[in-house]
Amino acid sequence: MSHNDPSAVVAAFLQQRFPHVEIAHDEDIFALGLVNSLFALELVMFVEKTFGFTVPSDEMRIDSFRSIDAISALVDRQSATV
Amino acid sequence: MSGTFALRTVASFLPERSVAVAELPELAYLGPAERQLCADLGIERIRTDPELDALHLAAGAASRALVAAGLGADQIGALVAVESRAPTTLMSSAETRLQAHLGADRALTFSVGGLGCVSMTPALLVARGLLAADPDLSDVLVVHGSTPATPRRYRHPVTVSGDGGMAAVVSREGPLRVLDVLQETNGHYWDLFRVDYRDRPSARWSEQCRDLQEYSFTLALESRDRLGAMYRRLLDRNGLAPGDVARNVCHNLSLGGFRFLEETLGVTIAAACHDNLRDLGHLGANDVLLNLATEIGTGRLREGERAVLISASPVAAWSMVLVEVVGDPGDFTVGDRFGQQPEPGSAGPSRRPTAFLDITPAPETDV
Repeated sequence: MSHNDPSAVVAAFLQQRFPHVEIAHDEDIFALGLVNSLFALELVMFVEKTFGFTVPSDEMRIDSFRSIDAISALVDRQSATV
Repeated sequence: MSGTFALRTVASFLPERSVAVAELPELAYLGPAERQLCADLGIERIRTDPELDALHLAAGAASRALVAAGLGADQIGALVAVESRAPTTLMSSAETRLQAHLGADRALTFSVGGLGCVSMTPALLVARGLLAADPDLSDVLVVHGSTPATPRRYRHPVTVSGDGGMAAVVSREGPLRVLDVLQETNGHYWDLFRVDYRDRPSARWSEQCRDLQEYSFTLALESRDRLGAMYRRLLDRNGLAPGDVARNVCHNLSLGGFRFLEETLGVTIAAACHDNLRDLGHLGANDVLLNLATEIGTGRLREGERAVLISASPVAAWSMVLVEVVGDPGDFTVGDRFGQQPEPGSAGPSRRPTAFLDITPAPETDV
């Protein structure tokens, strides 16, 4: 697993945090009732630290973090701007 | 900065009976993922006793704090209570009821609150203001009895609430000097969490989140930004570097909450927070004082060292309190989780009800 496949990296992180739940890549993780405010921040920090960028303010919205696919797309967008 | 004040003593009063979180009845109504989230909070047990309400808890802690300070209740100049989230009755005064129970007849008495578990901070601000404004006033008793507003102890997806009382004698001088206080609020979130009660029996009161996604994401990010900025400001305006703070103390919400603060602020959350989270759960506005007193009472925060008390509430409110141990904290703390245990029948306020004199430690039993 490399950072070339951000969806796999994010999926592994979520699997580690919620080992009893299978999360599809397009599933709304906030709608699952699993996420509290502290985990949301953990998720943002994980993305920033793992992929090496600071999430810009216009991307700091729930839609950018709603699913594995959405986070992967966010990483792709930020990679494209580097 | 000007207007510094100090805590002379801090005391806790916790129910002796406890219940395991895994045995809470409301867990039966949760799905597997929600049950797992509750288990991952890091809370194993909570203290609760149906015979001890918020008044008993507050009065028990207040009596201990006064005894430790060598004060009778009739000697304190002001009694500032942090209001209960769910008063026993409407229209009556829980604050003057406590005043009467303690025998604090001379005390200017009222309550503050409205900021959830951050409400201990406005109580300290009021104490500071009273001490600064009135040269005849020397001791302010700040006190809170914490019980949850609803019968359910698990607050999805945040924490598990226990019961407990805390009190502090606040004066101009004392072994714990309060160097600075910061507090901010954002009224947009005023009803993010609420309990509707007018049209239903209390057994059906239930905490509802207006928008779980807003809580889980928008407020979380705002909290990260606010707390980060407040921490920097607190240190900067007191001429301190992060290394000058020996301990960082926060609320007992969850292990995830500790991780969040540690990553956001680049600090380590004090061991007392972990211990009290595991054994007591969340005690509302009392958490930071309880954890601070535990750090001092167990000798982990010593003379000459500073600590920052970090509070956040989904109301939404945030606060930071900078304190320094400036004297021998030998008799500073008294209570169940730290320092000396109060002796049964120890000298206290003469008009203290006998129910509050019974502070003999007893074996822990399940409810």
